[in-house]
Amino acid sequence: MEFPVIVSPDNEDLLEKLTGRRVALRVGRWDRIAAGLEMVRKSGCSLFCIIVESDRPVADIDFGDCPAGVPLALMAPSTGRFRSLARHLDMLRTLNLRVYLPWDSAENLPGLRILSSVGINCCAYSETGLTDWEALADLATYALLERAPHAAIEPFAYIASNYNPSEYLHWGRVMFDDPTCFAHSDEAGRVALSRSELARGCFVARSPREISAWPELPEVRDRKLSWKRFFAENHPCASCPGWKICLGKFSAGLAQNGGCATFFEEMIDLVHRYRAMPAPRREVEIWRP
Amino acid sequence: MAVTAIQLCLAVLLPLRGKALFARNDTMPNILLTTLCNRSCPYCFAGNEMPGPANLISRENLIYIADFLLASGQRHISLLGGEPTLHPECLDFILYLLDRGFNVTVFTNGILGQCDLDEFKRHLAGVSVERLDFVCNLNNPIQTPASAQESEKVHTFLETMGPWTTPGFNIYRLDFSLDFLFDYIGRYGMKRRLRLGIAHPVPGSRTDFIQTGEIREVVSRLYSYRRFFDRFRVSPGLDCGFPICKFSDEELGWLHRFPGNPFFGCGPAIDISPDMSVYHCFPLSKYHRKSLFEFDSMARLREHFRTIRSAIQAEIAGIYDECDGCQRREDGVCSGGGLCRIVGRFVDEAPIRLAEIEDGISGYRISG
Ligand code: SF4
Ligand code: SF4
Repeated sequence: MEFPVIVSPDNEDLLEKLTGRRVALRVGRWDRIAAGLEMVRKSGCSLFCIIVESDRPVADIDFGDCPAGVPLALMAPSTGRFRSLARHLDMLRTLNLRVYLPWDSAENLPGLRILSSVGINCCAYSETGLTDWEALADLATYALLERAPHAAIEPFAYIASNYNPSEYLHWGRVMFDDPTCFAHSDEAGRVALSRSELARGCFVARSPREISAWPELPEVRDRKLSWKRFFAENHPCASCPGWKICLGKFSAGLAQNGGCATFFEEMIDLVHRYRAMPAPRREVEIWRP
Repeated sequence: MAVTAIQLCLAVLLPLRGKALFARNDTMPNILLTTLCNRSCPYCFAGNEMPGPANLISRENLIYIADFLLASGQRHISLLGGEPTLHPECLDFILYLLDRGFNVTVFTNGILGQCDLDEFKRHLAGVSVERLDFVCNLNNPIQTPASAQESEKVHTFLETMGPWTTPGFNIYRLDFSLDFLFDYIGRYGMKRRLRLGIAHPVPGSRTDFIQTGEIREVVSRLYSYRRFFDRFRVSPGLDCGFPICKFSDEELGWLHRFPGNPFFGCGPAIDISPDMSVYHCFPLSKYHRKSLFEFDSMARLREHFRTIRSAIQAEIAGIYDECDGCQRREDGVCSGGGLCRIVGRFVDEAPIRLAEIEDGISGYRISG
C-alpha cells in the first residue's frame, strides 16, 4: 500500500484536507454512521470503512438503519447481556460488520465466543496489555478448530490464512495496528502510527500534508524494521519459539508474564492443525483490513 | 382372531427391532444450569447432585455443549437443575440456544421471582410454542402442600407462561390425584399434554418412590383418569421406567390413540452437570460418571451408555424375574424397567457382582 489509510475522526474540515485519500472514519455513535458516510462522500475521500467507537456494550446500542454492505468495525467495551443482544442479531447478521472487543477483560473472551457462535464476525484486541494467555489460547482453539459452524474470530483467522514462516506477518492490520497500512489522525490533523500512540499523543506528523511522504518517514521505516532490534540486543524474544507470529509485539509484558511464548507457540501449532483439517470450515466472508 | 393392543404396538415397533428403542437414539441431552433448588420435593431425583457447593454452569461450558450437540446433529436440548431459572443467566441461555437453532425444553418448578418472570415474558413472548417448552413440575397442592408464597409464585408463572408450558407430574404415592392438573391446563391455557413420571428409587438416597411391586397399581389408577384425559383432550406422556407388561391391552390401546408412541424405556436421559460431568440420569449420577470432554460426539456418548446398560442387564435383565427371556425386551419394546431399580439392588446387596459393576456402584457405597 503506497499511502496509508487515514483513520480519521468525523471532522468535516479535516476530511476536506484529505480529499482523494482513503479513510477509515471513526464515529462515536451508531447513529452517526449515515452522517459520516455523507461527510466522506462530500469530501471526495474514498471510504475504507466506518469505525464506530461505542462506550456502551454491543447489546445496549441503539442500532438504527445502516446501508447494507458498508464495511463496519464496531468497537465496544463488551457484548452486554445476551437477552438484549438477541433482538439485534438478525439485523446484525445482515451487515458487513466486525465487532471488536478488548481481550483484556475476562468477560470478553466468552463474549467473543458467543458472538462468533451466533454468526457475528469479531476480533479480539489488546487494550491495556493485560492478557490471560491461557484463556486467549482457548479462544484461538475455538476460533480455528471448532467443528460447529461459527463466524471468524480475528486475529486468529487472519493469522491462520496468512501465516508464512519465512515472511513478516502484519496481523496487527486486522485491528488497524499496522503503520504500513494505517495512519491515525486526531481532530487537529496530527498523525500517529497506532491507536495507542494516538491516545498517548505520540505523533509522527503535524499535518496530513506530510503523509504524502509516509513510506519515507523515518518513524515508519524504523517501525517496519523494529524486529531487527531483538536480534541486535539478543533479547529473549529473539529465541522465543513463538517469534514467527509474535515478532516481539508483546515484549513489554514479557518480564511480568511469560505466557505469550507458550501462546504463540501454540498458535503456530493451531495454524498447522487448521490447515491440515480435511475440510476447513467455510466462514461467511466479510471485509477485512 | 381380534388383534390385541399389544400386537398392534409390536406391529408398529417391531420393524425397528434391534435398534434398542428403550435407549432412544433421539435422546435429548439435559444440561444442568445449576445444582441450586428452591423447593424440596419428597421424591426428588436430583438429591445426589444437590449437596455441596452451589454450582452454576459457565458460558464457556454452555457454548461448548451447544457446539458439541450441533456438530452431532442434535437440534433439541433440555435445561434443568436444581431449578434452572435460579441461574442468573438462564434467560440469556434460553435465548442463546434458540438463536443457535435448538428447540429448548426447560424443566422448572415455576417458582420464579417476579422480576425474572417479567423478563421472561418480555423476551420470550415472540418465541413459538413449538420451539420453547417449559415443563412445569406441579405438585398436588393438597397431597404435597407448599407454602402460600410458593404456590402463588407457581400460579403467577402459569398465568404468564401458560401457553409455553407443559404440565409435569411425578407419581410418588399410590393415592395420587391428577384432578387439579386438568383444571390448571384449562385455566392457564397450557399445552394439552401431561408429562407423567414415576418416582424411582435413587440409590444411596432416601426419597419417596413407587415400589417395583406397586407399578401395576399406579397404572390402573392412571387409567382411571381416562375420562378426564379424553374430556379435556389432554394426552398422557409417559416418562422413563414404565414397564409395558403392567399395562393391559385396553390400557395400551387407549395410550395409542394419542400422538406419538408411548415409551416403555429407560433413558439414557444424558445429564450434563455444570462441571461437565455426564451421566445416564440423576439416579445413576454416580454410576460410571464421566466428563463430557472424554467424548467427541453424541454417538460415542450413546455408545458408552449402551455399554453400561448391557453390563448391568447381563447381571440382571430387568426389574422383574420375568424380564429374563421376555420377548418384549428382546424385541426392544420394553427396557425391563428402570436401570435405577436394578442398580439400587446392587447397592443394597453384598458385593458379589462383576468388577465393572462393583466399580460403578462404589460411589454409592462410599457416600453410604
Ligand atoms: S421386559 Fe420385563 S418389564 Fe418389560 S415387559 Fe418384559 S417382563 Fe415386563
Ligand atoms: S435409570 Fe432409567 S428409569 Fe431410572 S430414572 Fe434413569 S432413565 Fe429413568
